[in-house]
Amino acid sequence: MKLLMKEWKLCIHPTAYIMLLCAALILVPGYPYGVSCFYMGLAIFFICLTARENHDATYTLMLPVSRGNAVKGRILFCTLLEVIDLVVMSLFVLIKYAIGTTPNPAGLDAGLALIGSGMIIFAIFNMIFFPVYYKDINKPGKAFGFAAAAVFLWIIIETAATYAVPFFRDVLDQPDPRNMSDKALFTLAGLALFLAGTARSLQMSTKNFEEVNLTL
Amino acid sequence: MASEMKTPLTVQGLCKNYPAFQLKDVSFSLVPGTITGFIGRNGAGKTTTINSMLSFIRPDAGEISFFGLDYPENDREIKEKIGFVSAGMTYYTRKKLKAITAVTRMFYPGWDDTAYRKWMSAFGLDEEKTPAELSNGMKIKYALALALSHGAELLILDEPTSGLDPVSREELVEVFLKLKDEGKTVFFSTHITSDLEKCADRILFLQQGELKADDTLEDFRDAWRIAECGNEIPSALQEAACGRCRSRDGYTALIRKENAASFETREATLEEIMIHLEKEAEEA
Repeated sequence: MKLLMKEWKLCIHPTAYIMLLCAALILVPGYPYGVSCFYMGLAIFFICLTARENHDATYTLMLPVSRGNAVKGRILFCTLLEVIDLVVMSLFVLIKYAIGTTPNPAGLDAGLALIGSGMIIFAIFNMIFFPVYYKDINKPGKAFGFAAAAVFLWIIIETAATYAVPFFRDVLDQPDPRNMSDKALFTLAGLALFLAGTARSLQMSTKNFEEVNLTL
Repeated sequence: MASEMKTPLTVQGLCKNYPAFQLKDVSFSLVPGTITGFIGRNGAGKTTTINSMLSFIRPDAGEISFFGLDYPENDREIKEKIGFVSAGMTYYTRKKLKAITAVTRMFYPGWDDTAYRKWMSAFGLDEEKTPAELSNGMKIKYALALALSHGAELLILDEPTSGLDPVSREELVEVFLKLKDEGKTVFFSTHITSDLEKCADRILFLQQGELKADDTLEDFRDAWRIAECGNEIPSALQEAACGRCRSRDGYTALIRKENAASFETREATLEEIMIHLEKEAEEA
């Protein structure tokens, strides 16, 4: 809790708040809505960049905090931002339905399955970004480059799947409340991947950070 | 208070290998309530030693203990008793000092707000300012105020006086002496040896990754003499000298005290000892 507070008070970059509002892109017709999750990844990159510029690692490691807990604090804080982003996305999905939704030709429609897809995007991001970042905290750009490439690859595959794969085209990429049980299963699978991926990311990141020599 | 009786820091057989530099079997311990100067030229390995001591970098070999507790195994307990200040390191430059303090105090059960107010006032620090608005000397003082407010008994300072003007350096030296009077132990790395002449009790001299001396300031200085000669160094002096340097009037040579009887010599300063020994190492 103290480390979460430290991240919020000292490390958060203002873009994190702005990127949360990028969930409003769901209101734009014909837009790949998964990209709004990518923007939150960008905010996480800025947080890590700001941390480097402010010698956050040295400050944190001189507190009565282990390396493992320092990693846990950062990853849990970023995961919390991702969860908030999913909640804000859900609110904009509801707003979109309230004002009248239209089919999205650029990927999944705004709906329950989109939230499941968002969880998959964050799982991919977390599994790549944090372990690479904690190998060398002075190079967050490298970690972000790999993670962003993987996220965009997933968005491209998913968008193509909404045209080519029957389960995506005929089940997930349909306006709610059609196929709600299948969409709920997809979203639960996304949640499981999000939780497992983030836990695995935490494990790998801690191991990487334990071994690294910090260049101060 | 039991920890005051224990050795604040013991380093045993510390080694770190880089492709172009090796820290070789560094061992020393600190005496409680003293100021220890850790000297050596830039690149000698002072910062590598400190970073290894604090586990910022992982040493290849060696054992570190603070107050009798192994590090990093007992890092939580140890970090409550130590403070680290580095001259080149400024945290969260755009945050107000009060914001940094508010976060820092959460982590220390023994945080003493009265002590914090006392040190902030003594150092003339304004909590509404950001580190970016502070001079280098004031940044060091703020870092010291934080360390002293959580009850640090050992202060590890990496080049704290680098880049400061002589007046600011003198102020900091006075602070270190005051801390010593309060029973704190200060470990102070620097290549500005004149600061240590004013305050250090002990000297550790690191050269090319090897600890060459671990002694009291008086004994370290007393072991050497300086001979001043003209533009030609007599051959007997050449043989006895441990390093020669050009000076305005010719050359100076560093000689071990036991070899100095047959030459006209004077006492050597810390700076002269360090410079001459480095010259000798370069020529070797």
